Amino acid sequence: MGKPSDLVQGTLDLLILKTLSTEARHGWAIAKRIQQLSREVLQVQQGSLYPALHRLEQQGWIKAKWAESETGRQAKFYSLTAAGRSQLEKETASWERLSGAINLIVQEG
Amino acid sequence: MRWLARLRMRVEMMFRRSRASGRLDDELRFHLEQQIAENIAAGMSADEARHAALRAFGNPAALRDQARETWSWNGVERVLQDIRFATRQIVRAPGFAVIAILTLGLGIGANTAVFTLTHALLLQTLPVRDPGELVRLAIDLSAIDKNGHDMPLNLPIIEAIQKQSRSFNDVFAWCVYEFPFRDGGVNSGIHGAIVSGNAFDSLGVRPAAGRLLTPADDQAGGGPDGLAAVISYRIWVSRYHADASVVGRHVIVTDHPVTIVGVAPAGFEGVIAAEHPDIYLPLEFQGILYGEPSKHTGERLWLDTFARLNPDVSRGQAAAEMSALFPKILDATLPPAIRHMPEVEKARFAVRPARTGWSKLRSQYTEPLLLLQLMVGAVLLICSANLSGLFLARASARRQEFAIRGALGAGRLRLMRQLFVECLMLALPGGLLGVGVAWASGPWILHMLGNVEAEEAISMRPNLAVLCVTIGCAVFCAVLFGMAPAWTAGNTSVEMALRSSNPRTSAGSAGLRNFFVPFQVALSLTLVVVAALLGTTVTRLLTEQSGYRTENVIFALTDFLRVPQKGEALVSLYRRMAERIEERPGVEQASVSAISPFLGWRWSDEFVAADNPKHATPVEAMENIITAHYFSALGVPILTGRDLDDSDADRNSCILSQAAARLYFPHTSALGKTLRSVIRRPRTGQPDTFHDYQIVGIARDTKYDSLRESPPPIVYLPLAAGENGQTNGGSNLFFVIHARSVAAATSAYKDTLHEMAPSSPEIPPVVFSESFRDSVARERLLSVLSGFFALLGLLLSGIGIYGLLAWNVTGRTTEIGVRMALGATRLKVFALVMRQVAGLLAIGVLAGGFAAFFAARSIRSFLFEVQPGNPWVFVLSSLTLVFVGLVAASLPARRAVSIDPMQALRTE
Repeated sequence: MGKPSDLVQGTLDLLILKTLSTEARHGWAIAKRIQQLSREVLQVQQGSLYPALHRLEQQGWIKAKWAESETGRQAKFYSLTAAGRSQLEKETASWERLSGAINLIVQEG
Repeated sequence: MRWLARLRMRVEMMFRRSRASGRLDDELRFHLEQQIAENIAAGMSADEARHAALRAFGNPAALRDQARETWSWNGVERVLQDIRFATRQIVRAPGFAVIAILTLGLGIGANTAVFTLTHALLLQTLPVRDPGELVRLAIDLSAIDKNGHDMPLNLPIIEAIQKQSRSFNDVFAWCVYEFPFRDGGVNSGIHGAIVSGNAFDSLGVRPAAGRLLTPADDQAGGGPDGLAAVISYRIWVSRYHADASVVGRHVIVTDHPVTIVGVAPAGFEGVIAAEHPDIYLPLEFQGILYGEPSKHTGERLWLDTFARLNPDVSRGQAAAEMSALFPKILDATLPPAIRHMPEVEKARFAVRPARTGWSKLRSQYTEPLLLLQLMVGAVLLICSANLSGLFLARASARRQEFAIRGALGAGRLRLMRQLFVECLMLALPGGLLGVGVAWASGPWILHMLGNVEAEEAISMRPNLAVLCVTIGCAVFCAVLFGMAPAWTAGNTSVEMALRSSNPRTSAGSAGLRNFFVPFQVALSLTLVVVAALLGTTVTRLLTEQSGYRTENVIFALTDFLRVPQKGEALVSLYRRMAERIEERPGVEQASVSAISPFLGWRWSDEFVAADNPKHATPVEAMENIITAHYFSALGVPILTGRDLDDSDADRNSCILSQAAARLYFPHTSALGKTLRSVIRRPRTGQPDTFHDYQIVGIARDTKYDSLRESPPPIVYLPLAAGENGQTNGGSNLFFVIHARSVAAATSAYKDTLHEMAPSSPEIPPVVFSESFRDSVARERLLSVLSGFFALLGLLLSGIGIYGLLAWNVTGRTTEIGVRMALGATRLKVFALVMRQVAGLLAIGVLAGGFAAFFAARSIRSFLFEVQPGNPWVFVLSSLTLVFVGLVAASLPARRAVSIDPMQALRTE
């Protein structure tokens, strides 16, 4: 993975689910969106993105549909399933607990 | 409904893989195109944009694999891929595959065959309820004789245990018999067992039809159905066509009508391993056969006894309780004369685990089987080392292939797994062939046990447990011989391999391959030395002078317990029958004997020289009861004096063997002296009993029950009437018959038996030459099988050396060509090749010598008249191995010599 963007282990799933919570997107758009929202801090490599997408799909948290993209070409659009939505809530909650805890320690020092 | 979505996904991924695969490519391509578009928008040229995008994208093949990794069924798919690929590889080099499968077939077959026997004899769990709770109760005589076996119990002891012990909730008895059996036209012998009424219930087996025996069947005169009998599932199917109406049928067992009340379940063979009773009769049958007292006698130990431990009692606790109770039980059950004999005083009570039942063959065959198991294990290791070497050679030929696949994105693990699949695909057919080999050789191995009953009862058909072990062997082999090549393949450096024009010249794994040859040689040498020692043992035993004539002699055991003649009349019947047999055509001599040599029976008593006050302490000697012509029938010369005469004048005469004469009359001639037989009754207060015999002859020394011992002192006493209406040798004695042929002897015996004792059942006579050879059955089994395994080891080592050198010579063709072009003579080239193999052989022989030294010492107890460190055995074995190695090496060496330098250099 790229140097500035090492993701905290296990957070990629959360980022993908979060990105998809507003609308269906294809892989490229998901990567771009993450990059953009994090102000270019986080860069998702293809090598992690596509395996992660396929894993989430296998687990039934996201579903995929082929549709025409903005450029007029066929692309695979992913969207959240109901199970994915509740998973997103769970992961968000646990992330907040974790980051809050880390913050407490970092700020104390 | 997430699980539903996941299930749908799984099904979809199973059936629409190729479509999903195409879609994945589309998806990735879309991503790439987006990246290119973005790059162009950022101001790059089309080419630049494309290259930059590809660089950022990384290895597309690897990425695709990573994505697929997350799909369901991916593992299965890749294994299928590996199998397809491996099949192509195997088909491409069929010769290699055939050698590998044959090698493995022999190695695994040897393991399967030996394990089948080990499993049947030692490991097979009884098909009964909670077999782990079962224990065998026995009397342990190991304190008296280190080879002493466990002795069975008898009814009074069992009843005392039932009354006094709190450790067992069921104690049941078992005694194996051979019965004459009649049912309508069928008149044959049948394997049977007399069992106590509670046996089936304790074992928790259920009948296949009717009912099983119960304690009610043990009543005097029979139970509710008269004398009840249960038949085996086997004869129910083979004789009665599984007809349920067999229940209630009357059959005749040893002249007594019995009623079949039920059928034992399929697969149930009783609790004695290597026996297969076809009829089970209640304990009461013993009383009917031999009189009620024979059931309750405390003098004879005849019932193999088993019990179930109470739930909270461990075997150790039960043993502790029993050893405390045992002396009291003996006091109560044994006649005082026997109770205080030294053997009885030293006897201990044993509570043995009986999950697998029990067999008397175990004491004899446990160690040999373990030894054979070790040897076949060594054969399997040799096989694996052999294939490892061959595989490694092939793997280095395929370095380019591995390099290309590595360059295309195959991970190291993937390459290793691919090789393992290839190995497995050779090992599993090898295993299959091995099962075939075991199947074919099973009856032959079984025959060498030299035990007819076991041969009939033991099934050498590989069962589930055996198949598991076989598959285990195959997988073990595959892992073993796949390990080194897989490691090397994983280590292949892409650049190096692709750059080198001839990958063979830089075989980086030569060191590893060189290890396998000495390893094989060392193991083979160990096998050869062990086989040579065991072979020498058998040869020495079989050429050992037994002192007897063995050809054309039979020993026919009678069953005269129920003939009407008793006491003197019985003695007279034996004498008259021997005379009658002698009159028949073709018969040379016939006699009677209480003991047949080499059948494992010993009978000893204490004697003292009556007229020699200096040697007043009675000393033990072997004993036999005989009639006239015993010595001439067996070709044992009487050195001085005369044979016994069947007249009353000879009632108190006896004959000594030379050893006995020396023992009792060390400095004088024994002839004409008096020998006193002493039956001692220490501690009972009763006086010892004496019987004096006058020595009328001295016979040449003979062995007694084992070829291993030196001739013991033997005292031959004349047949006379004994206690309880029997003779002084019991009621069942042997007829010893020497005739023109075994067939003539057998028919003379049968005719006489039918004529003079028609009510007595007929027991097939023992051919003396066979019992002589079968007395070394254990050693014979060991030596033949170990010889075979040693040959196998030699053959495999030869192939291994040949393979390594052939490979080496091919790889060094250019080098040898250059050497020859520069003036190296053929002899020098030959020496160059042979030098390499000589070094490997030397290391192997040295290591093997050490291993063999320790192996030989550990089998010391099997050996006879050959020292484990016998230098001849070691030197000859080493020479054999070196010879095989050099012959195997000379073939490729000759090829090296015939290399044409011009040709070799041109191909470079």
